[in-house]
Amino acid sequence: MIESPASLQTKIADARALRNPQQLLDFIPYAAFIGAKAEVKGSGIIYRLDKRPSNIGNPSLPAIHGGVIGGFLELSASVEILYTAKVQALPRVVDFSIDYLRPGRYKAIYASCEVLRQGRKLINVSALAWQDDQSTPIATARCHFLIS
Amino acid sequence: MNLKFAIFKPMLKLAMERTGHGAALGFEITRVEKGEVELLFPYQAEVVGNPLTGVIHGGVIVSLLDTCCGSAAITMLDSRVVTPTMDLRLDYMQAAEPFQPVYVSAKVYKHTANVIFCRGSAWQDDRDNPIAHCVATFMKVETSSISLGSVMARQIKRFFQSKPTHLIREDE
Repeated sequence: MIESPASLQTKIADARALRNPQQLLDFIPYAAFIGAKAEVKGSGIIYRLDKRPSNIGNPSLPAIHGGVIGGFLELSASVEILYTAKVQALPRVVDFSIDYLRPGRYKAIYASCEVLRQGRKLINVSALAWQDDQSTPIATARCHFLIS
Repeated sequence: MNLKFAIFKPMLKLAMERTGHGAALGFEITRVEKGEVELLFPYQAEVVGNPLTGVIHGGVIVSLLDTCCGSAAITMLDSRVVTPTMDLRLDYMQAAEPFQPVYVSAKVYKHTANVIFCRGSAWQDDRDNPIAHCVATFMKVETSSISLGSVMARQIKRFFQSKPTHLIREDE
């Protein structure tokens, strides 16, 4: 549990030092609620959302809830900032936009993020979600966060 | 209001509140009119995004607005059409107050042959001082196998199968 901004900063530094972005997800209750995971692969972080009944939107397909895919990408974007950008506090989301390209079928979803611009106050991140293959994405999102 | 719509309301509530992610979030649909839906989300510690402040994660607001806008879109159609979200854009005007419920409303502002355009808003104390605002578009897809009607039929069947005693008591 996080009690103070100082302990949060220590956790962020630890996660970076150990190259373990999962440690950042571990202190965000919402990440456990949807079951989001993160690990370093190659030069970046791959985020993963395993299938679970509580993430279903349309039970007759079944398909993953669009809101969960959105929440997962927004969460991934904020972890990307904590892990790669030099920020001391949790970024605050200002806006979020998502395009749904294909239905999210009932299996694992993967995501990657990219910080497109980091200013003093504002940071822009894009995120991509896929299931079988990165070249057939199920959703693409972009968001702005305040980082000061 | 016609009879078909009167039956539609509780079916929509059942499908949205009792299945999958809707059931996990634990919101309540409080109003259903043609093209307009409102819901209430009580505070839940499990969905916190900032452990320092207890503020809920933005992803919850995405899910609530997507559900509310999607429900409003469905009210415009007959039961053989489904409305997958094409896109959703959300502005966060201020952080949600922790430990307080969130109210969400959605309204269809344009309905064309292929696309339904929705606006949504989330607030706490004051409807005119929202915490978030969104626009979302929904595609109209003609189908029978994945429609809201078939989802609800399955749910109702399951509900009655699992709780027969409860059903009897309510009837009496």
